[in-house]
Amino acid sequence: MSYYFTILSPTDTPIFNIAFGTSKGGGDGIARFRFPDTAQYMNQFIIHSSLDIVEEAQWTNGGMYLKHIDTYPPAAAYISAFLTPSGARFLLLHQPPQLPNSGGGSGLGSSSLLGSSGNLARGSTSSIAANPTSPQTEEAVRQFMTEVYESYVKTAMSPFYKQGMEIRSPVFRTRVNAAGKKWL
Amino acid sequence: MTSPGDATPVKPPPSFSPGVGRNASKSRYPNEHESTVLIDAELAEARSVSSPTPPLSATTAELPIRSASPQGRSVRSSTPQLARSSFGSPLDGRFDGSEDIRSLIIRGFCPTIAVYASEDTDVLVKNKGFKGGFWELLRPFGETVTGKVIIRDSIGSSRAWEDYGVRFVDLKGLGRAPASRDSGRDSPLAQIEEVLEQQLGSAEGSLGASLPPKDVLGFPATTSLSKLFLRQLLSSTPAAPHETFGHPVASVIAISSRNKAPLETLRQLYGETNTGDKRLPDWVHQEYLRYYVLVHDEERDDITESTKLYDQMKRHFGLHCHLLRLRSSQCVVTDDDSVQVPHCEWLSPQEHMSGAGDADGTPYLFDSDVSAIKSFIRELTVQSVIPFMENRVAVWNDQVASRRRGISGRFMSMSKRWAGFGSSSRSGIGGSGGGNNVNYDTEHNFYRQDTPEAILRKMADFAFMLRDWKLASSTYDMIRSDFGNDKAWKYHAGAHEMCAVSMLLNPLAMSAKIKLESVDQMFETACYSYLTRCSDATHALRCLALAVELLKSRGGSATESAARWAMRVMDFGLVGSVGQILFMERVAACYASKTPVGGAKWGARRRKAGMWSIFAADQWLKAGKPTLASACLEEAERLYADVLGADGMFPMPEMQSFIDNLRHAVKVDYLQARGFDTNDEPVAGDTVGTEEISEKLDKRNHRRSLMGLPAQLDAGTLMSAGPRDPEDQPNDDFERA
Repeated sequence: MSYYFTILSPTDTPIFNIAFGTSKGGGDGIARFRFPDTAQYMNQFIIHSSLDIVEEAQWTNGGMYLKHIDTYPPAAAYISAFLTPSGARFLLLHQPPQLPNSGGGSGLGSSSLLGSSGNLARGSTSSIAANPTSPQTEEAVRQFMTEVYESYVKTAMSPFYKQGMEIRSPVFRTRVNAAGKKWL
Repeated sequence: MTSPGDATPVKPPPSFSPGVGRNASKSRYPNEHESTVLIDAELAEARSVSSPTPPLSATTAELPIRSASPQGRSVRSSTPQLARSSFGSPLDGRFDGSEDIRSLIIRGFCPTIAVYASEDTDVLVKNKGFKGGFWELLRPFGETVTGKVIIRDSIGSSRAWEDYGVRFVDLKGLGRAPASRDSGRDSPLAQIEEVLEQQLGSAEGSLGASLPPKDVLGFPATTSLSKLFLRQLLSSTPAAPHETFGHPVASVIAISSRNKAPLETLRQLYGETNTGDKRLPDWVHQEYLRYYVLVHDEERDDITESTKLYDQMKRHFGLHCHLLRLRSSQCVVTDDDSVQVPHCEWLSPQEHMSGAGDADGTPYLFDSDVSAIKSFIRELTVQSVIPFMENRVAVWNDQVASRRRGISGRFMSMSKRWAGFGSSSRSGIGGSGGGNNVNYDTEHNFYRQDTPEAILRKMADFAFMLRDWKLASSTYDMIRSDFGNDKAWKYHAGAHEMCAVSMLLNPLAMSAKIKLESVDQMFETACYSYLTRCSDATHALRCLALAVELLKSRGGSATESAARWAMRVMDFGLVGSVGQILFMERVAACYASKTPVGGAKWGARRRKAGMWSIFAADQWLKAGKPTLASACLEEAERLYADVLGADGMFPMPEMQSFIDNLRHAVKVDYLQARGFDTNDEPVAGDTVGTEEISEKLDKRNHRRSLMGLPAQLDAGTLMSAGPRDPEDQPNDDFERA
C-alpha cells in the first residue's frame, strides 16, 4: 500500500505533502504508486478532484473524520478525508499494491493492531493493505489522522507559523512519518 | 367549440404533474381537444424560450392534429418531456444533448424489416443505380418514417412519435449472419475502432470539423464522434438468438410489373421464406408479417395492367399490399427533379469501411420516386407493421405473459427450480418441451422460437420497439430470472440489460434511489454474464455504453454511476485507444452534467470533470490530434473556472506545471499541424511559459497573504493575523518608495 498525504489550506493550497509506503508486514515504508515516476502529478489531480466530494460530504457527515470518501477507479486510489476546525483538510490517498500477493511482502501484512482497544492480529486477507475500504482500514486511517491532527495543532500554534503557510517543520514531518509507520 | 376561457381552468398542472393527465375523461371529449391546444401552445412557447432549438417541440405543438386518437393521452404524452425540461435540471444545455442521445438510442432499437425481391425487381432497381437491389433502394428512407407515427401501448393510450424508423435488411443476409459472426467474435469492436480512426482522419483533414458541435452546446454533451461511436455500436450487433431486435418483424416481398407470372412468383417467394434455404434459423420466430409489393415501371409498363394486377394481389394476399410506382431509368444530377438519396445513418462498421457511407457515392433519384418510396414506407409502417406488432404484443401478453404472471406461472417457474416435480404442470404451457425439464437447448444455446421464454422475450422486444417501456421492463423483469435458472447466460445478460435500459427510458418511473441501485445491479449482472460467461465483448460494450448515456441523461446522482460505468469500460479494455479517449470525454461529460443541489455550492463535480478533460486532452495530444486536444483543454478551463480563484492558477504546483506543459505542447503541435513554421515557435512558447511562471509567483505571494481571511474562526488565525499584516504593509511601502 502506498500513501500520499496532503494538508490543504481552506483555499485548496497544499501546505504539506508527504508520500510514504506501508511499514506493516515487512513493508519498507517507501511509496510505490502505480503511476510512472514522470506522472506523480496524478496524485495531486486525484486529491484535487476529490475536493468535490469533500465539499459535499462535510455538510452531510457530522464527524471530523469523513472516512473513505472517494475512489479513483483507474488507479485504484482511495481517498480518506479529515476536517479541522480551521478549514484545513487532511486528505490521504491510499493505493493498494498492484498485485497484492506478489512482491516482497508488500501486501502480506499480517499484524495490524487496530485502535487503542488493541485488536488481535488479523490474517493477511483482512490487513489494511489488502482491503482499502474495510472497517479496519477506516479505523487505522482514523488513528493516523487523529495523531497527525494533534501534531498539526501544535505546529499551527507555533509563533513562527502563520495560517496558510507551508509547513516546513521537520519535527512535524517526522511525526507524520512516525504516525504513518505506526498505523498504516 | 368552447371558447378559450372555458379551457383555461384546465390549468398547467396537467402538464406538470404526471398523474393529473390521466384523469382526463372521455366524457369531456369536445373540450379536451381545445384544452390540449392551449396547453400545447403554452408548452411550445415555454420550450422555445428555454432552448433555442428544441428538438421535440414540434411533437408537442402538433399533437392536437391527431384528434382521432384517444384524448387522454395527448396531455399525458407531453408530460414526461416537459417535466424534465422545465425543472428536471437547471441547465438547458444539458437537456438538449441528452434528448438527442435518448432519441439516438431509441432509434437504435427499431423494427427490422426483411426485404425479399424477385429477380426482375432487383434488375429494375439496379438499372437505377442501386447495386444492392430493392433493399438498398428502400433502406435510407426507412431510417426516418415521414410524419408522425402513432403507437398505442398496452393500456390503450397512444402517443405520436416524430422520429420513428424501421431498418430494412436483406433477407438473404439475415440467414447468413450467425455464421460470419462466429468466425471473428471481437471483430466488430476492432472495426468500430477503425471507423473512428477513419472518421478522425477525415475530420482532421477539414480542420476543426468536429469542433463546432462542442462549442455550440456549451457542454461536451455529445461530440459528433461519440455519437458516431454509439451509432456504430448499436448497429454492429447482428441478429442473434438471445435478442430479437435483429429478427424480422415483417418481410417485404416484391415483384415488378415486368414479371410474367406475378402471382405465382409471389407465392414462390413466400414459400421460399418459409421453407428451403432462405428459411430463417430456428431461433427466429416464423410468424412475421408478409407484405407484398408490386413495383410498377412507369416508363415501360401500362398502369392499367398494373392496377388490375394489384387488385388481384389484394384479393389473393389480403390487405398488406402496395403498388409502388417507380421510373425505371437512372437519374443523374443534371435532371430537373433529381434528389440525392439521403445518407444512411445506421451503417454497420463493415459497410462504413467499405465506403458505403461516402456522401459522394450515393445515387440520385427522381423526386416522384422519392415521394413514392416515402409514402410506401409510411404506409407499410403505420398501417401494417405497427398494428401487427401491437396485435402480437396484445395477444402474447394475453396468452403467454398473463399465464406466466398468474399463480400457475409462478408455480411453473418454481417447479422448474425444484426439478423433482411439476413437469406435468409445465407441459400445458411449455408445449414443445421434451423429456428434459427446461426449454433451453443447451446443445445449440438457444430457445426454440415457440417456447414461452422465447415468446416472452420477443414480446418484450416488440414492446420496446413500440416504445412501451413500461410493459417492456416488466416483461424483461419477469423473465430475467428464468434465464438464469436455465443457465441461458446470453439470454440472461440480454434480459438484464434491456430491463435496465427500458427502466431508464421510461420517463415516468424511477424517481426513487432504490430503483437506481437495482438498475446498477442489473447492469452489473448483464455485464458479468456477457463478459465472463459468454465472452461477448460487443454486447458488453453496448450494454455499458447504454448504461453510461442513459444514466447520464437521468441527471442527479445517476450521473455518478454513469461515470463509474464509463470508467469500467476503460478498465475492462473493451475499447481501443480512440475509444478510450472518447470514454474519458464521456466521464468528463458525466461529471460536468452533475449540478449543485438546489442553491448550494456543493454537489457539483467540476473538479472531477476538469480532471478528466485534462486527461483526455493529454491523450488526444499523444494520439496526434492537437485540434481535439485543444478543444478538451478549453473544456477543462471552462470547468475549472468556477473552482479556481480569479487568477486561474491551480493551487497544486505539480498540477499547474503539468497543465502548463500540456498547453504549451498542444499549442506547438497545433501550429505544426497547421503548417506554421515552427522554428521560431518554441521560442515564442518559452516566452509564454516564462511569462506564466513569473505571473504565477506573483499571484502566489498575493494569494498567501489572503489565505487566512476565509478562516477567521480558527484560533490559529487570530494569533497569526496580528504579526502578518504589519509585515506586509512595510513591504508595500518599500516597493512604493
